[in-house]
Amino acid sequence: MNLLNYVPGDSFLHKLNPVIKLAAAFMYGVAAILCNNVLGEVGFIVLMILISYSSGLGDRAVRLTKTLIIIGMLMFVIQLLFVRSGDPLLVIAGFCVFTTGGLISALLLSLRVVAAMLPLMLLFAITQMNDLCNALVKKAHLPYRYAFIVTTAFRFVPIFTTEFHDIQDAQKARGVDFDTKNIIRKMQLIAPLCVPLLVSSLKKVDNSAMSAEMRGFALRTIKSGYKDYPFTWRDIAVVLVLAALIIFSVLFLK
Amino acid sequence: MISIKNFGFKYQNSKTEAISGLNLEIADGDFVGITGTSGAGKTTLTFALNGIIPQKIKGDFYGEILIDGKDTVEHEAEEFALSVGEVFQDIDSQMVASIVEDEILFGLENFGIPHEEIGARLKKVLKELGIEDLREREISSLSGGQKQKVAIASILALEPKYIILDEPTGELDPESSRDIFDLLTKLNREKGITVVIVEQKIMLLCEYVKHLVVLNKGKLEFFGTPNDMVSKIDTFKDLGINIPRVAELSSRLIAAGIYSGEVTLTVDEAEKMVREVLRI
Repeated sequence: MNLLNYVPGDSFLHKLNPVIKLAAAFMYGVAAILCNNVLGEVGFIVLMILISYSSGLGDRAVRLTKTLIIIGMLMFVIQLLFVRSGDPLLVIAGFCVFTTGGLISALLLSLRVVAAMLPLMLLFAITQMNDLCNALVKKAHLPYRYAFIVTTAFRFVPIFTTEFHDIQDAQKARGVDFDTKNIIRKMQLIAPLCVPLLVSSLKKVDNSAMSAEMRGFALRTIKSGYKDYPFTWRDIAVVLVLAALIIFSVLFLK
Repeated sequence: MISIKNFGFKYQNSKTEAISGLNLEIADGDFVGITGTSGAGKTTLTFALNGIIPQKIKGDFYGEILIDGKDTVEHEAEEFALSVGEVFQDIDSQMVASIVEDEILFGLENFGIPHEEIGARLKKVLKELGIEDLREREISSLSGGQKQKVAIASILALEPKYIILDEPTGELDPESSRDIFDLLTKLNREKGITVVIVEQKIMLLCEYVKHLVVLNKGKLEFFGTPNDMVSKIDTFKDLGINIPRVAELSSRLIAAGIYSGEVTLTVDEAEKMVREVLRI
């Protein structure tokens, strides 16, 4: 969760319109996906980290990249074992384990995943969830109830975590040993806790719905939002630059 | 005025009535404390005072509840929301936003308060509750007492005539509990807001409220001022409700003819009484 927290700041990226931030992250991802060149993908990753440094988010970007590379490696292995084109590269006892085509396509795919996911993950560092939803309702005319679902889901994560720890502590107090090193045993101990967690979560969600309704949730319209999110020259510039990046990616990074 | 006539309610899938045959009138400007053991129907009563029962929670509804003359059976709960605000028992799940400012804005935006007015109301309510410095804070990072104040602020911003609170001090330490009661007293006195509060801490209730409601198994056991309560000490003991020890002491001294003043409800008053009786 730590990697997705909002980082307060006053940089160029922070000042962008929340809708544009989301659009920009997507456009950057699209550019990375359209790129068909291993060096190009590395370039996308490095560029994103450099942009992050300019907004004081360098450490976050590096940590995120490391995490994403782990996911990328998983995809790399799967791709490597299943794509069979080009020449055999490793043959053990007459069985071809992987090929040159497999290696290139695996490398490309795993880097592409990292390059496309990075900007979306960094979005959380520069955007308050509430701002994003309010702006999406106001500017992109997303129905408020969907925006509300998303913010609520994010808000409930820490609440459920606390709830889960409470239940676990209650069990510990009665002698259940959650600190066991045996992973299977640990899973067996934790699985039954899902029932009380589910029950208390449903109660909380019910309560939350009632509270929202009693404060006029159903009466809300697009015009209700108090905060305004005007587009500025920054937003237009960012969209233009990213559109150029997509075109560049399609034309030159084949 | 909220008037409750012969009110009874049975939740769906429940065999027994949560509340039955309840008659009660809550006058404008009153400060009412509701107490009773768990399962006495306290929360059910708070839900009935703003139309959540029967509009949002279904079940068998008996009798009649009028809020300023409007029947809660005939009007949507939202219609009462601006005049009767409720702070619910579970503090975390009633929040709708992650930032304090957004939490307070939520109701104001929804009810279509003009945008020119929203900013002023926001500032005013933050100042009234003394939480101006929390405006930009994440709600999940606040203490229990601070969260409670944010919850009250978000209701207060709607400028209701009545405010209902369901065990607001349940998870608070004694000092923050007193803080909340002081705050409510101020709102009651200065702004004339009618306060209805469910509370287990009987000592606090006796000290602060104007009228006390005691529920037992869904029935009204007592309605009166904290002073009146003393005549019923033994009944309350049978119900499992402890009345403040200072009140018990003074009423016994009065009964024994040793002391001739009023029943004492706070420690300070009791101290004075004891000094008088012992002549020290």
